Amino acid sequence: MVLQSSKRHYRVWNHRRLGPWCSPTGSPAPLSCETGCGEGSWILVCRLLVPTQVSLLSMEEDIDTRKINNSFLRDHSYATEADIISTVEFNHTGELLATGDKGGRVVIFQREQESKNQIHRRGEYNVYSTFQSHEPEFDYLKSLEIEEKINKIRWLPQQNAAYFLLSTNDKTVKLWKVSERDKRPEGYNLKDEEGRLRDPSTITTLRVPVLRPMDLMVEATPRRVFANAHTYHINSISVNSDYETYMSADDLRINLWNFEITNQSFNIVDIKPANMEELTEVITAAEFHPHHCNTFVYSSSKGTIRLCDMRASALCDRHTKFFEEPEDPSNRSFFSEIISSISDVKFSHSGRYIMTRDYLTVKVWDLNMENRPIETYQVHDYLRSKLCSLYENDCIFDKFECVWNGSDSVIMTGSYNNFFRMFDRNTKRDVTLEASRENSKPRAILKPRKVCVGGKRRKDEISVDSLDFSKKILHTAWHPSENIIAVAATNNLYIFQDKVN
Amino acid sequence: MEFKLEAHRIVSISLGKIYNSRVQRGGIKLHKNLLVSLVLRSARQVYLSDPCPGLYLASPAGSPVAPPQQPREPAARPPAGWEEPPSPAARATWQETEPQPERPATPGERRTDGAEPAASVTGTGDALRGGEAEAAEAAWRRVEGPREAEAGEPGGPAGDSDVFPEGPRAARRHCCCAPGREDKPGTPTGSPRVDCCCMSRPAEDEPPAPPPVCPRKRGATGVGGGTAGCPAPGSTPQKKPRRNLEEQPGGGEEEEEMETGNVANLISIFGSSFSGLLRKKSPGGGREEEEGEESRPEAAEPGQICCDKPVLRDMNPWSTAIVAF
Repeated sequence: MVLQSSKRHYRVWNHRRLGPWCSPTGSPAPLSCETGCGEGSWILVCRLLVPTQVSLLSMEEDIDTRKINNSFLRDHSYATEADIISTVEFNHTGELLATGDKGGRVVIFQREQESKNQIHRRGEYNVYSTFQSHEPEFDYLKSLEIEEKINKIRWLPQQNAAYFLLSTNDKTVKLWKVSERDKRPEGYNLKDEEGRLRDPSTITTLRVPVLRPMDLMVEATPRRVFANAHTYHINSISVNSDYETYMSADDLRINLWNFEITNQSFNIVDIKPANMEELTEVITAAEFHPHHCNTFVYSSSKGTIRLCDMRASALCDRHTKFFEEPEDPSNRSFFSEIISSISDVKFSHSGRYIMTRDYLTVKVWDLNMENRPIETYQVHDYLRSKLCSLYENDCIFDKFECVWNGSDSVIMTGSYNNFFRMFDRNTKRDVTLEASRENSKPRAILKPRKVCVGGKRRKDEISVDSLDFSKKILHTAWHPSENIIAVAATNNLYIFQDKVN
Repeated sequence: MEFKLEAHRIVSISLGKIYNSRVQRGGIKLHKNLLVSLVLRSARQVYLSDPCPGLYLASPAGSPVAPPQQPREPAARPPAGWEEPPSPAARATWQETEPQPERPATPGERRTDGAEPAASVTGTGDALRGGEAEAAEAAWRRVEGPREAEAGEPGGPAGDSDVFPEGPRAARRHCCCAPGREDKPGTPTGSPRVDCCCMSRPAEDEPPAPPPVCPRKRGATGVGGGTAGCPAPGSTPQKKPRRNLEEQPGGGEEEEEMETGNVANLISIFGSSFSGLLRKKSPGGGREEEEGEESRPEAAEPGQICCDKPVLRDMNPWSTAIVAF
């Protein structure tokens, strides 16, 4: 294994000086805290367009040109498939929000600092750093192209001034260090200010270089590359609570890595059958317990979850707990297996529950009860009668993610037509909201949406047949401590905030 | 009955997806293909469990029940094809394909001979699709060969209707064999071809449709052929080392390929119809009309006509389930 040798730094000018990308209007909007809407109403903080290559190139240009480019992006929605956001993740404090896209890029947004004179801008996220994490590769041996799409990003807890995150595509995991530089050394003896070497014979005095302030620069460097450990497509990564190890899971195997060691990993789960013809299920997601560094769970395409304890044995093929809900025979159809496949599994912050997402439902399981979930929420049950069409257009294979809020009282997941749903576990209330450009006025209050399933459609309701299945919310994230959510809709990133906040 | 039709449709869609997955960027996605194969299985099970009117087993020979002559657009979409009971369509196509394999069969006319008394002849359906179905059925029949033979096939004695026996063979010819072979429709010993489990087309197969003749005839050569494996034409593809979808007979090779052997075997079980999807060269003109398969370009993997070991190995478990698609 060869460690990556790239020493490229990705430098991004500080956008805070030049104005935020995020605000479409270009000016801060007044904080509308007067208009009360009752608890649980959400307002749009900002809609972020991941800057495309066009705009990145223009960063050196003057402000006017950038404004023009901004508006071009905004109005014409110029986006390629490479801009489609494929993962969203807040860091542990919520100050940073990272997105990965299909083009292999990672864009990190930072929350606007609260300041006296710009109190209205608090809560907005601006671009902090952008870098190309993965490039398309070609496996010549197998004649396979390896997509550069970022499947997952996971932050490491901050231990010093720099930020660290893991990003992965189908085959390779990388550890990135994102750091700020606001000073630079000046006064070298052998180099002049532009960096050109000086003729030693012209040097008559010596001086000590000093650090002088400079414009803030954020640079991202790849610190580790964990490659060549997965034959199948990586679907999950999860940082262990010991902050020393992490795991990566593909369809059939889960590997445990140490952050410091890139040329070997431990295989802790292997469900590949000796005879591939006997393959019946694959691993779909995996996550470490938030507090117990020996415990992790992984979900399967059969709708089951296995909890494993690494203390039990080196190879955790035998689970410690097995969570499965008996299938409802009345719902059997051709597609029962597909819709029972779990697309995401998440521990609650408390570590007491796990939440799983399959095609039509979200389920909350108590770790102490294996035979059935304690809560089941229907996300879009009206699709149950349309499974055949969804199978034809491949929508049935969409992998929706699910998230907990900071207090584990509300869960959220996405749906079609740019709808996303929130379920309050305590009050048993749920709401459907839409992330759309029409509601993109800053501080606009989101109106709950409703899908009409019956014949009679009320005003403001939308019928199932009018749903746009090309607009799907697969990736969402919830701030770890506040009611701020990030919703990825194709190439747009919406940040919403609870109005009560 | 509707279940059967829907099952058909789902099967064809599924096989189309499996085919397309080979050309997708990023390589074959194991998870998705596994799910698709599960759907395939479910659809097949429904197919088999849904009792169909036994008309399919009626003797085709000499009682050509002309299926309704309906305009069949060669490129009919899969759903359309499902309107009609596969069998009549299938037979019709067989006849077509046999004499003129290249021609995108215009079913209508040739239906007459030996058209199996279709249980419920309603539809049009796509000729080619029918052909595929036939081919697929033929393959299935092959699997069932021996049984059918005992079952007192209506098809008539040996060598009866040239058409039908040819049909499957022709279809198979389509599917896997070198184009050259196609000009010999009547070759009774298309044995090499006979056993090709290449699938020329998404298996829209009606279970019982094909004339029992087929199986029986295959029985003679088929079973034998089956055991013998796929000779000549097969050999070419067999030589191809690379198998994306298909599993090496030996099962997952050491080499950590991303195997979807499970799927591959399913496909091989489904029989003849798939080779058109898998092979680079499309035998004869008929292929173009096939629904769904837009691009054969990448079919770099020449058909894994894995007729011998993998098929044989699977024949037992599956054959009991297969009732002649």
